[in-house]
Amino acid sequence: MEGILAILNTDLLVATIRLSTPITLAAVGATICERSGIVNIAMEGMMIMGAFFAVVVAYFTGNPWLGLLAGVVAGGIFSLVHAVATVTFHLDHVVSGAVLNILSFGIVRYLMVLFFGHPGTTEPIPHGLNEYQFAIPGLSKIPVLGSMFFNQTPIVYMSFLLIIAALFFLKRTKVGLHLRAAGEHPMALETIGVSVYKMRYLGVLISGLFSGLAGAYLSIENAVSFTEGMSNGRGFIALAAMISGGWTAIGSFLAALFFGFADAFQIRMQIFKVLPIPAEIFIIFPYVATVIAVAGLVRKSRSPKADGIDFIIEREDG
Amino acid sequence: MEITKLKPVFYTLAAISGVVGMAMYFSSIFSGIFLIIAAIVIYYIYRGLLTSYKTAKAEVYSVLKSMLIPLVGIIAAILIGAIIMVLTGYNPVRAYKALFYGGFVKNWSISVLNATPLLFTGLSVAFAFKAGLFNIGAEGQYYVGAMVATFLGITFNLPPVVSIILIFIIGGLLAAAYNFIPALLKVKTGAHEVITTMMFAHIAKYLSSIFIRGMGGDSAGSHPYVTDPIRDSNFLMKFKTIFPSANYRVHIGILIGIGMALLVSYILYRTTFGYEIRAIGQNKDAARGQGINVGKNIFIALLFAGFLSGFAGVTQVIGLDHKMFENLNAGYGWNGVSVALLAANNPIGVIFTALLWGALDAGGQYMSRTTQTPNSIVEIIKGIILFLLVAKYIWAWLGHRLKRWLGKRLQKNGGVQ
Repeated sequence: MEGILAILNTDLLVATIRLSTPITLAAVGATICERSGIVNIAMEGMMIMGAFFAVVVAYFTGNPWLGLLAGVVAGGIFSLVHAVATVTFHLDHVVSGAVLNILSFGIVRYLMVLFFGHPGTTEPIPHGLNEYQFAIPGLSKIPVLGSMFFNQTPIVYMSFLLIIAALFFLKRTKVGLHLRAAGEHPMALETIGVSVYKMRYLGVLISGLFSGLAGAYLSIENAVSFTEGMSNGRGFIALAAMISGGWTAIGSFLAALFFGFADAFQIRMQIFKVLPIPAEIFIIFPYVATVIAVAGLVRKSRSPKADGIDFIIEREDG
Repeated sequence: MEITKLKPVFYTLAAISGVVGMAMYFSSIFSGIFLIIAAIVIYYIYRGLLTSYKTAKAEVYSVLKSMLIPLVGIIAAILIGAIIMVLTGYNPVRAYKALFYGGFVKNWSISVLNATPLLFTGLSVAFAFKAGLFNIGAEGQYYVGAMVATFLGITFNLPPVVSIILIFIIGGLLAAAYNFIPALLKVKTGAHEVITTMMFAHIAKYLSSIFIRGMGGDSAGSHPYVTDPIRDSNFLMKFKTIFPSANYRVHIGILIGIGMALLVSYILYRTTFGYEIRAIGQNKDAARGQGINVGKNIFIALLFAGFLSGFAGVTQVIGLDHKMFENLNAGYGWNGVSVALLAANNPIGVIFTALLWGALDAGGQYMSRTTQTPNSIVEIIKGIILFLLVAKYIWAWLGHRLKRWLGKRLQKNGGVQ
């Protein structure tokens, strides 16, 4: 019991934020995507692409910021394949997502052999983004909250800003309103002369950029190299976070925090050997937490009405 | 009608010829193909006698036609793969020669071994898909099947045939039970099976490490690696006992898989349960309107999908490995999704796509050994094949564009005249 109390400290909460960051980013991106009416289960693949290209560019240029940019762009470009497949070619959203996850695995493995000469783990990058951790003067002095929110690494700060940006975009901008309409009542949107296709492309693209950033976080901020399979189901946990969070940016963030906490907690339980049971029992903790969250919260949340429903329109120019 | 009385004769002839032919072919005795063709011919002769020459011909044509788009997609993906190889500095002709020679001739036995678990997981995903469910976590049920087979394989000391049948049944049932919670949550709360089965797959992977440690793996290390071997009497039969020239590793699991494919096909298209499953998959609300119990059928469908994936783990352990390794990194569960999608969820189609996937993997290894082309190009080719085949709308879209373009040209020409 004393052991458990010993790990309940500020470090645990700081780690919660760090471990929830990739899930938050992917989940908030997915929220925007699904609000536009496209189901996205390809976050896993988009994260892998982002993580890999971030490392490739950071490794060969020596600049982690260029790596970050590359990760975001890679996620975005890869997501466009999902947009083309689902919006233009009317492929089933879940099928397309599954295929993209599989495709990302193959692309990364091939390019890894090409660039680094071997599959598995890449060579470490010269400089990671973790070197750029900085405390915000004043605010970081607040007890507990200061070290949680105001003494972090760059992408963690970005994730905070992006949650606010996503909230503002969805609630307060005209494009955001149109995008939500594409997911709720696409025909009405088309009637007022706004292209549903364009809104859905936008939604998927934003999700790709966010997931790419999440991937970059995994490989060049939280680590200094890329390992195959390093996303380890986080894309799907992000999906669960979005659903448990009721298809809202704030809800996604809170759910991601919960999953981040589960992960941070289990890692500490493992390291400090609090209980004499196999480490694997702790490792599965976040996955179990995800199932429980989805089971308990899903009934209360409502998905966008036209989410996952194909929209076909015949245009003169199309 | 005397013809229907002859049904058992024709069916027995076709079955014997087919099974023997397949056993020969999977043992790398390629002349077995003639017996397989004979079986198909016998079947269609019976269909022809039963109905008419015309209907039998139409049936054959429709089967051939359904194979056309997949073939075009595969060829297109091969061409795209060739372009990628040229761009990255490899010789596609040499690479493809090695890939196909290795996959379909030289190392065909490895292809068959690769295809066996894929066939079961592919059937599992395909069956769930028919009910509108996505059993993306087939990998987890595969692990459960493998664990059960290892445990029983070590402990059972019964007459061989009895114990093997029992291992299959218990392994399948426990793998089905592993889908119990996702199925229950799906029906009771609507929790999406993509998330729940996926999480359960990750959980199974880690639980298997504990299991392996308990069954003779390195109990001190963080990686237990491998269990003790199972008893010899619980090994699945090998083709080598019938055909001495066959590879010593190839087991009859592939034939059990093909049998299961036929069974799944029968369930889907010839039983009430199958009809209800397909009705739900096409339109849940319409099915409910017809008085079909949607919840119950979805529940059973997910459990049955787990049962099928469990068989994959069982055959892998008692057929090939004879022990369980940690992190069976082959990813047969994940690849089962590809195999099912590629076959458009047709159980019979899964037989062919599983063999294709198995052959591409085996051929890829041969290719990278003999031509130094990276094995992973195969993963890209697989991804592209999949993408081109599932995006059927691409072909319709291209056709539409082509027609429109031709139409405009004709109009223009008309205007000039």
